[in-house]
Amino acid sequence: METVTINHTGYHIKRGKIRGITPLTAMEKMFEIELPGGDALDHDPGQFVEVSLFGVGEAPISICSSPTRRDNFELTVRAAGRLTEALHQLQVGDEVGIRGPFGVGFPIVPLEGNDILLIAGGLGIAPLRSLINFVIDNRRDFGKVDILLGCRDPQSMLFCEELAYWEERIDINFCCSVDRAAPDWAGNIGVITSLIPGVTLDPLKTFSVVCGPPVMYRFVVDELLQKGIPEKQIYLSLERHMKCGLGKCGHCQIHDVYCCQDGPVFSYDVVKQIKGAI
Amino acid sequence: MNQTLLPKTRLDDFIRFLSARQKVIAPVSLGNNQYKFDEVSSLDEISLHYIPTILPPKKYYMPQHETLLKYDVSKGQEMEAVVEVEELVLFGVHTCDLAGIQCLNMVFSDRPKDLHYLIRKNYLTLIGLECNDYCDSYANCAMLRNHLPKGGHDLFFTELADCYYVHVNTHRGDELVEKSGLFDEMNTQAEGELAELRTRKKERFKSEVAIRYQDIPRLFDETFESPVWEDVGNRCLACGNCTNVCPTCYCFDVMDEPDLDLTKGRRIRVWDSCQHEVFAKVAGGESFREERKDRKRHRFNRKFKYPVDRYRRIFCTGCGRCSRTCMAKIDLKETINALMEERE
Amino acid sequence: MGRPKVAFFDLSCCEGCQLQVANLGEDLLDVLELIDLVEFREVMSEKWEGRYDLAIVEGSVVNDESEQRVRQIRDRCNVLIAYGSCATIGGVNGMKNRRPIEESQAAVYGDKTDWFPATKTRTVDQVVKVDYYIHGCPIYPPEFIKVLKAALAGLSYPVPDFAVCVECKFNENVCMYDKGVTCLGPITRAGCNSWCINAGNVCYGCRGMVSNPNRNGAEDVLRRYDLNPELIANKMMMYNAAKESTDE
Repeated sequence: METVTINHTGYHIKRGKIRGITPLTAMEKMFEIELPGGDALDHDPGQFVEVSLFGVGEAPISICSSPTRRDNFELTVRAAGRLTEALHQLQVGDEVGIRGPFGVGFPIVPLEGNDILLIAGGLGIAPLRSLINFVIDNRRDFGKVDILLGCRDPQSMLFCEELAYWEERIDINFCCSVDRAAPDWAGNIGVITSLIPGVTLDPLKTFSVVCGPPVMYRFVVDELLQKGIPEKQIYLSLERHMKCGLGKCGHCQIHDVYCCQDGPVFSYDVVKQIKGAI
Repeated sequence: MNQTLLPKTRLDDFIRFLSARQKVIAPVSLGNNQYKFDEVSSLDEISLHYIPTILPPKKYYMPQHETLLKYDVSKGQEMEAVVEVEELVLFGVHTCDLAGIQCLNMVFSDRPKDLHYLIRKNYLTLIGLECNDYCDSYANCAMLRNHLPKGGHDLFFTELADCYYVHVNTHRGDELVEKSGLFDEMNTQAEGELAELRTRKKERFKSEVAIRYQDIPRLFDETFESPVWEDVGNRCLACGNCTNVCPTCYCFDVMDEPDLDLTKGRRIRVWDSCQHEVFAKVAGGESFREERKDRKRHRFNRKFKYPVDRYRRIFCTGCGRCSRTCMAKIDLKETINALMEERE
Repeated sequence: MGRPKVAFFDLSCCEGCQLQVANLGEDLLDVLELIDLVEFREVMSEKWEGRYDLAIVEGSVVNDESEQRVRQIRDRCNVLIAYGSCATIGGVNGMKNRRPIEESQAAVYGDKTDWFPATKTRTVDQVVKVDYYIHGCPIYPPEFIKVLKAALAGLSYPVPDFAVCVECKFNENVCMYDKGVTCLGPITRAGCNSWCINAGNVCYGCRGMVSNPNRNGAEDVLRRYDLNPELIANKMMMYNAAKESTDE
């Protein structure tokens, strides 16, 4: 057996340097990462990267920063597995391996000139933040913007400062709700779907992008369809375990679709053809 | 493409000629009517009349454990991408397994290309061997038209009375014929014998299931919710035997193998199976094919439906390995028949 | 920071797993570069009074004395590895749980039963928290090294939760059932590289069962091969009785 070195393979990692770590909650931290030579990641909102630490492994993480902001990019990481727990142990200046960006992100072109309704549940706000900030940075390209956010409780809310800023802006309608809270909580209590009827919208002019845990999709989609938004104008980001990112390993496959290459973002008229996808 | 003849008396010389140049891999007997592809150096080690080996030759194209990267974390995340290669001649590969390799070739040359696979493949020479008769009742090669050669080989041997009819398919194959100096000119008698054999095969190999090739994907589409899957799921032990022995199952896991110093190591890929419960689990703990019936249905669809949408080809080769190896005796032909009955 | 202090302990067992470690050969020298071995009865006589970074415990808990001992070990260590079937699933010691404890005691000690107080067999994790598991009777040396590396790096080691058949197929063995021999591979969790079958033996289920076996399906299979499910259940009890009797 002979070993041949190759210069170009899908498994090559770029050496990313951690430039900032922001604790968000007890479970989540945000990492700012710089690529060699200060290169831009060149991603679309909604895409993901494979983050790796040699000796530990690799995991798919969605990019939470907008490509319009700086050259570095940001990842929100929940300590939920072998790799993500190891990431939480790292310090500023440490290196991580980066592959990607992978997949098809949120649809920018169809959204332009239209009203948009962005809905996030739990950690789903992380990938959606990349789109929200992209929209804010190109605010005049879009019509009315509504953002709905649901989380378990106020303690698990991510990006609190930014949420406050979105709430303040007069050109964005921001509304959030928690499943449960202490009596002193002044905001909404209830599941995310309870916020949808309150949104005033022109259904044919509205595109909705939904991002959250798998259980949320069916209920949210039902509400959106009831509002009269066409199936083609509802986009979902599907969570699967993208292992190789290259459309080969089979882990993220739903029927004939590879989430890592064909997704993770799909329009509902496509998703509903894929039995068992949501 | 041209044809030539190898007298049977010279086959051993040919094997020895090959093995003097590089390792030769061929089917060898393990007893109990079971076989495996293994290294040989002469004809007497080879089982020329064999039923499909336990593992298909995919183990040489994408080994069970394969190094992708070598890493060193003593100075950050340093790495070097590698391919482990070895020049091999695979001799005696049946048409079902040639078809399996063609399927893998399609998957790994689809973009983004998998260079680890494609580079290794270049080191391998394929010599096919025709099945003159059925191997056993598990095979379903005729329904998929894989009982006849459809390319994918460098040389292809068909056994006649006194000699092998040899199709030369590539430059690499031609070179072996030329350099060995063991082959004879084609003659009309051999041409006649081959035609006769093929006629005989036409009679012998009839589609094992009463369905037309082009109608198969639709069958699986229409029976997605069939109770047949319930039954199959109740029997399945989820051992993963069917995927490991399948010539076209290529799912894998990627993991790191650190050396004892914990600074150097290798990133490897290992065969994985969609039949295991954890296969489609995400970090949040949710599994998307939790039930055995979901996983079994997924596997059948990954042979007969999904690859047709993506690669315009059915990924079942008809080798019968999954039925042969299944502890629960979930039989591929029976399952297809049950689905067809269900639909009526 | 010095090398981690590592100690090996044995409760009720045959100490065969220690022997596997002692027999690691060249790998053992590499392991010793990495750790500071402070206690290991089978290879050294020194004792250590301080705290252990890593305690590696073999054997099951079969009496009050061994319970106290394993609790003390847990209190003195940061990370605990249970290794060998006796420690992880009860192993052959578990067989005594299949009948009343008095019966077993009487059979072994006769009229001297009072001299040897005993309890039902318990696995280490039925008494104290276990951080890593290395199953097997005996342990499979390459897996021991794998787990040791994970423990030293502070990473989890998930025991494979699929059947031994997977690794057995990787190794292209002729299936024991095709040879007409019963084998527990289809319901036993992998990680041993089908060690026994590679060597011509059958699988005895020493690593414990996969977490979600298809019991009905397995019984079907046994019927198909004309095997008595009770016979298989008995075979499985050879190593797994301690877990069965307390898991209910």
